[in-house]
Amino acid sequence: MADWDKLTEKMARGVARGSSRRSMLAWLGGAVTGAAIIPVLPVSRAYASSVDPHAGSPGRPPVTSGNPQDPGDRTQCDYWRYCAIDGFLCTCCGGTVSSCPPGTEMSPITWIGTCTNPADGRAYIISYNDCCGTSSCGHCLCNRNEGDRPPLRPQSNNDYNWCLGTESSVYNCSTAVLIGVALEPS
Amino acid sequence: MKLAGTFAVFAASLLAVSAAAAGRADSYMPGVAQPDRAHSDYMLKCQGCHRPDGGGDAVSNPPLNGMVAKFLSVPGGREFLGRVPGVATVNLSDERLADVLNWSLYKFDQANLPADFKPYSPSEIGELREFPLRTERAVLRQSLVDQMQE
Repeated sequence: MADWDKLTEKMARGVARGSSRRSMLAWLGGAVTGAAIIPVLPVSRAYASSVDPHAGSPGRPPVTSGNPQDPGDRTQCDYWRYCAIDGFLCTCCGGTVSSCPPGTEMSPITWIGTCTNPADGRAYIISYNDCCGTSSCGHCLCNRNEGDRPPLRPQSNNDYNWCLGTESSVYNCSTAVLIGVALEPS
Repeated sequence: MKLAGTFAVFAASLLAVSAAAAGRADSYMPGVAQPDRAHSDYMLKCQGCHRPDGGGDAVSNPPLNGMVAKFLSVPGGREFLGRVPGVATVNLSDERLADVLNWSLYKFDQANLPADFKPYSPSEIGELREFPLRTERAVLRQSLVDQMQE
């Protein structure tokens, strides 16, 4: 009977040692930290890109507006606003489709074109402001050139470096800012 | 009390009249057949260099804002505005170009418009753009600016 008591006591103490509040907290902390790391593991990212190959650049999650009137993945060259772009997409470089990455300056001088929005079939005026000040981003190169004109029409040519009017003329990436609706031809 | 009520009605009517006048000043643009189209053409053909507010600087491109209508007050200035490369060579019809040029004068430099200003007509623009300025533009502009300051 004494042996039974000792065995019971030993097991009870073991359970108490292994399941204390502190060890429970330690276990929970480990689980939370571990769960947070799972999405950044290369295995998980490779899986995500293999699920839908059109959802974003490899290893790059899609960036969408969430608005059905502005459809498409902004990390992809076939996003509708990029119809006349020539450069690295700021969405892939730490900025957005309409803002520059930190540490760069948006050029006030830009080239402007129109793109057709597939959601409503209307033409919108897009301003391709370059972001300037640090060396080329190097991600998501996109060169579509619709409406691009030869360099003898410099105001309609996108091969120029449009980092003009900025402190630095070093090109980093390009935005595609929506500035208006193009009127229907009358 | 009655007097206060009368005054309130008078003040309200004054406000309404001044608001209507302000609205008219913004939209009254003789020589601009279609202001919305002119704005759209400005965005597509001019704004890339001249910026949304017509701003500029000495390094990149000269400002329109507070400056462009001053050319109308010096000899040769009116012709200059119709012959600068960005105006003369733009791929717009004479009608639309006259619209956007007049629109820019009203929009960016209403204060410096001469009292006897006559809007550009499509035929005048058509004649001026036959002779676009090229590399001599900068020297000619500087001489006109010098005349403004005399």
